[in-house]
Amino acid sequence: MEEMLAQLPQQVVNGLTLGSVYALLALGYSMVYGILKMLNFAHGDVLMVGAFTGWGILQLFAGSGSLTANPLIVVALMLVAAVASTGLLGGLIERFAYRPLRTSSRLAPLISALGVSIIIENVAMLLTGGRAKAYQTEMLIPPTWTIQAGGATVSATRLAIFASSIAIMLALDFAVSRTMLGKAMRAVSEDLDAAEYMGVRTSRVIAATFVMGSALAGVAGVMIGLYYMQVDFIMGFSAGLKAFTSAVLGGIGNVRGAMAGGIVLGLAESLGVLFVAPVYKDAIVFSVLIAALIAKPSGLLGERVRDRV
Amino acid sequence: MRLVVTHLVGAAMRRSMGMIGVLVRRGCMLRFERIGEDVSRQLWIAALVTLAVCALSGPAFGKDLPSVKIGAAGPFTGDLSKIGLDSLNAIRMAVDEANAEGGVAGRKIEIVVGDDAGDPARAVTVADKFAMDRSVLGVIGPMNSGAVNAALPTYQRAGLVIISQSATNPSLTERGYSVMHRICPRDDAQGPAAARFIAEELGAKTVYVIDDKGAYGQGLGDQVAAALEKAGVKVGRGQITPEDRDFSPILTKVKAAAPDLLYLALPNPAQAAALIKQAVGLGLRPKLMGGDGLKERDQLIAGAGGAAEGMYVTAIGRDIKDVPEAQKFIKAFEGKYGAMSIFSGQSYEATKLLIDAMRKAAGSDPLALTRASVLQAVHRTQGYRGILGFPISFDSKGDVLGASIYVFQVKGGDFVQVKEYPAWAR
Repeated sequence: MEEMLAQLPQQVVNGLTLGSVYALLALGYSMVYGILKMLNFAHGDVLMVGAFTGWGILQLFAGSGSLTANPLIVVALMLVAAVASTGLLGGLIERFAYRPLRTSSRLAPLISALGVSIIIENVAMLLTGGRAKAYQTEMLIPPTWTIQAGGATVSATRLAIFASSIAIMLALDFAVSRTMLGKAMRAVSEDLDAAEYMGVRTSRVIAATFVMGSALAGVAGVMIGLYYMQVDFIMGFSAGLKAFTSAVLGGIGNVRGAMAGGIVLGLAESLGVLFVAPVYKDAIVFSVLIAALIAKPSGLLGERVRDRV
Repeated sequence: MRLVVTHLVGAAMRRSMGMIGVLVRRGCMLRFERIGEDVSRQLWIAALVTLAVCALSGPAFGKDLPSVKIGAAGPFTGDLSKIGLDSLNAIRMAVDEANAEGGVAGRKIEIVVGDDAGDPARAVTVADKFAMDRSVLGVIGPMNSGAVNAALPTYQRAGLVIISQSATNPSLTERGYSVMHRICPRDDAQGPAAARFIAEELGAKTVYVIDDKGAYGQGLGDQVAAALEKAGVKVGRGQITPEDRDFSPILTKVKAAAPDLLYLALPNPAQAAALIKQAVGLGLRPKLMGGDGLKERDQLIAGAGGAAEGMYVTAIGRDIKDVPEAQKFIKAFEGKYGAMSIFSGQSYEATKLLIDAMRKAAGSDPLALTRASVLQAVHRTQGYRGILGFPISFDSKGDVLGASIYVFQVKGGDFVQVKEYPAWAR
């Protein structure tokens, strides 16, 4: 019991860091679902591409044991490159794998998404030789920069990840609720055909949603790289699963719900190991999901879907 | 612009489609061969090419004698591929050298590669493949305990001798399979040696052991923990999975337990490096120690970016850089393939030993070579002297005699040998 209490603050910090990354990933997942009612299985693999892009940029600046440029500039470049590559990738996937199937049955784009996921994973495996790559996070932010707060050690990396995730989430929330594009997105989500008749260029809005969601996955990829300090070609699978779980937990299709779902999930994963062995952390995650869905099938912040007549 | 992009993407897709087509066709060809459809034309071409190659270069092999094959099983893709591929290169070197000396009684040696990715299920498929090819007379590998464990029954049924360079789980030679041999000492030598070092040399009072639930990791973790408890050291245990990338939850548990030393019973040095780095981020700096699987310079030391400095690892072989007989091998290997990794020397040794046994089995009659005669010859190996710095013999179970456990420390970006414990003779 005492040992549990001693772990509690640290596990909360772990959960919040992880949760904010999950939330970022869940946002993109949820946005795509909200508009197309389609589960994008390739979302986790887009994250992996973002993580590797960030790693590639970091390698450009990583000399032997030190950086050749200001760490802030390097991180900024990593993020920009990751956003650019995943945004582009998301756009391409939408154009070539999903758009041709938009009018077909619900199952077709689902299978297409699975196919895209397998293709991305295998290409990444070939390119990386199947080996894990180390993220030299210690070169960007010294691991000794830590704060002791209430029995927990909070490293500067964690603070940075948490703060930037929250900032990006708030910006996105603002964009969806206040800008023209956001309005169009919500309109398309509400009723695609009606929005089309009202003059919304739905194809463009859908493409923009994919690009934005994928770009968020790219940011999450860099952050997860900085946090785990290692990336490999298979990481997208578990990340995608967590994104899906967070999105469903928060109420799929709902931006604020995705955030809440991600953070709840991260906390559940970290705090769950207080009671059971860490090996079962994924089992805890899915138990939480099942429990939440039994208690509130629409998710934490989801609205009840009215049957359209 | 849009046109250019469309064109580029189109071209890329066509090319990849072409590649897929080639791969599919190749797959079909392999399948046809296997089920024995008419492949006589390909066989003729292969025979002609072989004849031409033999006539043009290299030592003259017996014209009507088919070549003998050695199977190489190991993780040549996936997480452990770095270690696996360096081993495969060492096997290639040994075979090339043997062929330059005339092969086995005038028969050329060929390598058949079986990639198991360290995965037990795939190791069985590899074993099946080797078993079906009647000209495969011996196998180097599999490298991982889990893979050996799964594939052993298949090899036993085929009567195909295997020599593992790195599978250390004790149970493998305890199951009564006569084909099983290994040239590395077992974890019930490694674990107690590590525990002795922790208790006697480092004076640790509390130790936390993390393993990955695998045959190697959990087996070694159990051995270390049992020996530590016997020595009066307090032990905490925790597990991760091979897929884990986030170690904060378990490291927080370690932090609460505040051990003097953290022991990592993990087969994957890259995963261990990430774990060590994440520990630093949590303000956790215990002494570190690990098993032989972690003695991998690129992935552990470089991968941990300085955080592994001072860490100890045990190794199941001497640093062959210090063995005079090994200098020629090291120079040749590094000249051809770059820096060695942990099991390169052992893979080379195992291959040479197998070839030596094949030559003994053949004697002057190359057709006396059978799986059974090779198995007998390997099993009877007495005092084989190669590059590992000790004479190799096998006991009745197929375990190596005369080996030692060595303790290394990470100092200045490399491993430095600090201690040697003889692996007790059973």
